[in-house]
Parts: sequence; structure tokens; C-alpha cells
Amino acid sequence: MPTRLRPYLLLAPTLAVILLLFGGGVLLALMQSVGYLPFLGRTEITLDAYRAILQQAAFSQSFFLTLWVALASTAVSTLLALVCALALRRPFRGHRLITFIFQLNIPIPHLVGAVGILFLFSQSGFLARLANLAGLISQPADFPAIVFDPWAIGIILEYVWKTTCFTGLILLATLQGVGNDLETAAQNLGANRWQRFRYVTLPLLTPSMVSASVLVFAFTFGAFEVPLVLGQRFPSMLPVLAYRSYVDIDLNARPEAMAMNVIITLLIGVLIFLSTCASRTKRCAVNGER
Amino acid sequence: MKKRNLILLWLTAVLILLAACQPTEQEDTINLPAESPAPGVEPPPGFADWDAVLQAAQGQTVNFYMWGGSDLINGWVTGYVADAVQERYGVTLNMVPVADGPEYVNKVLGEQQAGRDEDGSVDLVWVNGENYRTMRQAELLYGPFSEYLPNSIYVNWNDPSVANDFGLSVDGYEAPYGKAQFVMIYDSAKIENPPTTVDELLAWIQANPGLFTYPAPPDFTGSAFVRHICYHAVGGYENLLGEFDQALFDAQLPACWDVLNQIEPFLWREGQTYPESHTRHQELFANGEVYFDMAYNPAEASSLVENGRYPETTRTFVFDEGTIANTHYVAIPYNSPNKAAAMVVANFLLSPEAQLSKAQPENWGDLPVLDPALLGAEDQAAFNAIPRGVATLSTEELAANRLPELQAPWLTAIEQAWETAVLQP
Repeated sequence: MPTRLRPYLLLAPTLAVILLLFGGGVLLALMQSVGYLPFLGRTEITLDAYRAILQQAAFSQSFFLTLWVALASTAVSTLLALVCALALRRPFRGHRLITFIFQLNIPIPHLVGAVGILFLFSQSGFLARLANLAGLISQPADFPAIVFDPWAIGIILEYVWKTTCFTGLILLATLQGVGNDLETAAQNLGANRWQRFRYVTLPLLTPSMVSASVLVFAFTFGAFEVPLVLGQRFPSMLPVLAYRSYVDIDLNARPEAMAMNVIITLLIGVLIFLSTCASRTKRCAVNGER
Repeated sequence: MKKRNLILLWLTAVLILLAACQPTEQEDTINLPAESPAPGVEPPPGFADWDAVLQAAQGQTVNFYMWGGSDLINGWVTGYVADAVQERYGVTLNMVPVADGPEYVNKVLGEQQAGRDEDGSVDLVWVNGENYRTMRQAELLYGPFSEYLPNSIYVNWNDPSVANDFGLSVDGYEAPYGKAQFVMIYDSAKIENPPTTVDELLAWIQANPGLFTYPAPPDFTGSAFVRHICYHAVGGYENLLGEFDQALFDAQLPACWDVLNQIEPFLWREGQTYPESHTRHQELFANGEVYFDMAYNPAEASSLVENGRYPETTRTFVFDEGTIANTHYVAIPYNSPNKAAAMVVANFLLSPEAQLSKAQPENWGDLPVLDPALLGAEDQAAFNAIPRGVATLSTEELAANRLPELQAPWLTAIEQAWETAVLQP
């Protein structure tokens, strides 16, 4: 009996926190998004907020920008992480030092990274000043717009900088876990380098690559601080848009802010569900049979 | 942001615990200063007299929520003010910086929703305009208390710019803190003759592409700049005075959006984006990306020069047609558990001594809110002797060019319409 209860007991504190804080938060957001705001004297349930934001051009523009940033950041960082993991897999001179440097930015907060990008890449930033010293540009506006720019390059740069090592470490751990017996076997059977990578290494890496990139995608889709520091004013990414509605002095904007948060949460939730399914069994997305 | 708040919350909790654990030896040694409330005013709800307030304040901690974007102001509050109230009244002042007013409005509102009517976490807020209106209307404020504060005898409550906060009467729910007036800031080494009217500024922007921008409303400073353009475009603020009127708004304001859209291609980054905040705009000016800064504080530029952040050649000007001026206040949320200490701090902020310290450019450089006519000769002389700082205009020049604020609903409407009419392509 105690042994059967044990995992539950061990997990209970964490689960309680997740359910109370996350679940409670989502529930409150859901209630406010359908217009249940007793402190304003409103208790009628309505989908007006959803209707209103879905009709706004600003919302759809923000949505596509967010999708672009999340996709681009995930794709670039996963690709870089793959290359790095393969390179760091085998020992070479200075291997330990380079692995250490590779992991160095894991504990650095995103906000610090964002400010760093700002200092480096803004039109009066460090690189612009170097370019000016070298006589390449004569005034700040000559420096290419990398932050506050329409393509959100600054935001993507920050995410790539920060998440590459995260994904890379996961891939590296997977590679070290599986060893190279299978590849050696493939080599003995006559597979060339590309074939060994394509048919042996890559399939071995795919599950961890998928889960790492889903995490990266979900984070970049829902994170707020980096786009606030590095993003242009309009269109802004969804989390920033939601934050602005939340701090809007007009309390009637509150349901719209919450509706946006619910939509963000829902999208990320669906994505995580699908990817978990996909990595467990390929059939589950079709009809759920095991 | 959230994380920092959490840390601050923990720190506060620890501080409160520490304060509670400390032996109460202070009580014996402190002599309560002989201060008496303004005559003929009812004491604030829950207190019999000012002595009761002082007694209750002993040992309390005040969480002072305020805009935290200026190191100078933060330093004055956490240094001079915190030290003084601790030493004299045994009150611990804990400054909690916020990026914008709605953050603390939301906090108090959240507490009201959660039924925390007695033990709120916000004790004092730096407030005016829209946030005051929101808090007052949602009944989130404690009062009336401010006319009872002993130092409020130096306040001229008959002055409409003090008794009304953006068109809404104060009624003792806010204690005056300071006065402010909008000024434009430029570097005289780069621009010899700055434009002195809104028209000239608009012409300068078009002649010098890429070198001007303003913080995106609802940023406080950017919003004020936009109002100046709107006053100009609708042919004077007189056309927008009084209660908010949607029909009048729809008829008048398009002229303002036209002007702002005309200059947009000539702004920094071709107007495709705007600085997110006043602080960001200051960085652009300091780094030479733009040639004009602006501030709702006539002495800010001098302070920044003194700090070494802006060049020595920085100067300010007001438009010939005037710039907007207002009064800012502190207020106490209804659910603060430390109302007595909050009133003690509000009273200290109103004292001639604190107002004088606040007016020094190296401390803050904020305009005093006290009426010189109500001060003693000594204090008057001290206020007159405040060094103005290289970039600050004279009090006379400022006073001669003052425009009133609109009622808060106008501001909100202008800020919202700016998003769709100007910002979005």
C-alpha cells in the first residue's frame, strides 16, 4: 500500500503548486476573459472579448509576428544546436574549455541577454560605434536596424543565443547516452558518413530534438520580457500586446487581455499535446488507439 | 518584473519581521515633534487626532509604490526621505519601483477582488491624473486625510491646479507632492536656435529627417507631448476643456492625427516604431540618435547634466504658446494596514524642509507645491535661493507659459486613438 502511494506522495507538493498556481491562474484568466468581473459589477458571461480581439487587425498581425519569431528562433537554434552537439561529441584539444564556454550562458537571465543585445546592436550601440570609428557609417541611422525592427531580428538573435546551448546540451546528453556502437555497425556495413548521419544518428536524436524544440517554441511564443525590450512598438508580439491590455487604465480592456492569454495558453497546450503524442506513438494523432 | 516584485515582497516580509522582533527601546527616547493639524478640519477616518496618528505610525513600514524610472528620484526617496522618517517618526519607508501607474492600481484592485480589505500590500502611491481617477472611482483610496496633515497649511487649496487633479477634485484623498511642467530639451551645441513654437518644431522635424521622436503613448511623457500637438492642431486647448465629449472628440482630434501622421515619415526610424518609454527616449538623446528630448519636469535636464548623462550644453525651452503643467500627489490605498505611517510620510513630503530638498537640482529638481505666500520669510528666502541648474528655465518664464491639463478621460481617449490613428499603418 505505502509503495503504491509513494510516487503520489513524492509528487504531491509539486503537483499542488502546479495545479493551484498554474491551474488557478488559468481558471481566473478564463473567467475574466468571458467577462466575469464582479469587481466591476459584471457577472454576465459573454464571448465579446474573443470576438473583439479576433476582429482586430492588430491581433492577427501580432499573431503572425509571434509565430514568425517562435518558428525562426526554434529552427535556427535547433539547427545550430545540432551542429554544436555533433562537434562537441568527440574529444579534441580544448574540448573541455569549449564545452564550458558553450554552457556558459545557461544561467544568464533572458532580460540580461536582451539588454546585452540592445547595447551591442542598437544604432548607437557598441557595434555601431565601432563601425563609426572604422569610418563605415557617419551617423547612427546608417547602422542597419537590428533591434526594434519589423522582422524582429533582435528578438530572434536573443532567443537563438540563449536557447542554442539549451537544446545543444540536451542533444549532447542524448548522443553520449546512445554511444557510437550503432554507427560503427553501420560503418562496417558500408554506410558512408552522410548515410550514417541520416539513417542512424539523426533518428536517434529526433525524439529529444522534438521535445527540446517544442519547449523552445512554447517559451519563445509566450515569453514577454525580451520582446518588450527589443521589439518594435507595432505590431508587438502577443504576450506584449496582452500585457499592454492588462495594464490599460481602462479596466474594460481586462477581458481582452485575458482572452489573449487564454489563446496563447491554448495554442501552446495543443502544441505540447500533439508533440507528446507524436513522440509516443505515431498512431495517437489519428484515432487515439494504442 | 514579476520576479522582482516577488523578491521585494519577501524582502518586505523579512523587514516587517525584523521590525517586529526589534525591542521597542525607541519609544522611550523619541520625543514627538510638536506638530498640530490644520485647524477646523475633521481628523482622518479611524484616528482621533494627529498624536494618535503619530503614535500608531511608530514602527510601521510604508510600502511606497512609485514610478522608478529615475535613479535621482529613487535615491532621494530611499535616502533623504527614508532616513528622515525613520529617525523622527520611527517609520520605515520601503520604496517599490513600478514602470507605470496601472501596475499598482492593478495590485490594489486585485487585492480588493481577493477580499484583502485590511492587509493590503500597498501603503502609499505616487499618483495623479488617470490613475487617481481610476482608484477614486473604484473606491480604492483612503480619505479624506490630506487637508488634516499639519503641513497642509502651506498649501493653497484655493488654487484650482492643486485642488483639482486633471479636472477631478482632490477632496482630501490625495496629498500634494510637487508640481511639474513640460519642457523640451535639446543640445545647444547641435542646434543653435531651437524652434520656439509648435509650428517651428514641426518644420524642423521635416527639415531634419530621422532626428526626432517621442515616447509612444500611453507613456506619460509621450502622451503629454502628443497633447501639445493636439492643442496646436485643434486651435487651442480651450476647444477641449470640460467634460469628455465623444462627438467633440471625433470632430476635433482628426486634425491632430493628420499633423502627427504628416511628420511620421520624418521621425526616427521613419516613424515605423517609437521608443517604448521616456527612459528609452532619454537613451536615444544621450546617444545622439535623436536631437530632442522632452520631460514633464523642468529641472530634469539640469539634473542629468549634473549627473554627467547629458552634455554640458544641454538646454530646455517651452513653446511660446505654453506647455502643460500639473500637480502630482501621494495617496493611500483603502486597504493599507499602515495608514498612520503613510500619513506621516505624506506629511513629511509636504514639509517646507522636504520640499526644499526636493527642489535642489542635484536631489531631484521638482517644483515645490507649497504657496510661497503661506511660508515664513526664512523659508521663502530659502526657496528663492534654490540654484536653478544650467538647463532650467526661470520660474517666471515657466509660469508665464503654462497650459492646463485636460480631464483624464480626454487623455485616455487620445492615447487610445493614437494607437490606431498614428501608430498603426
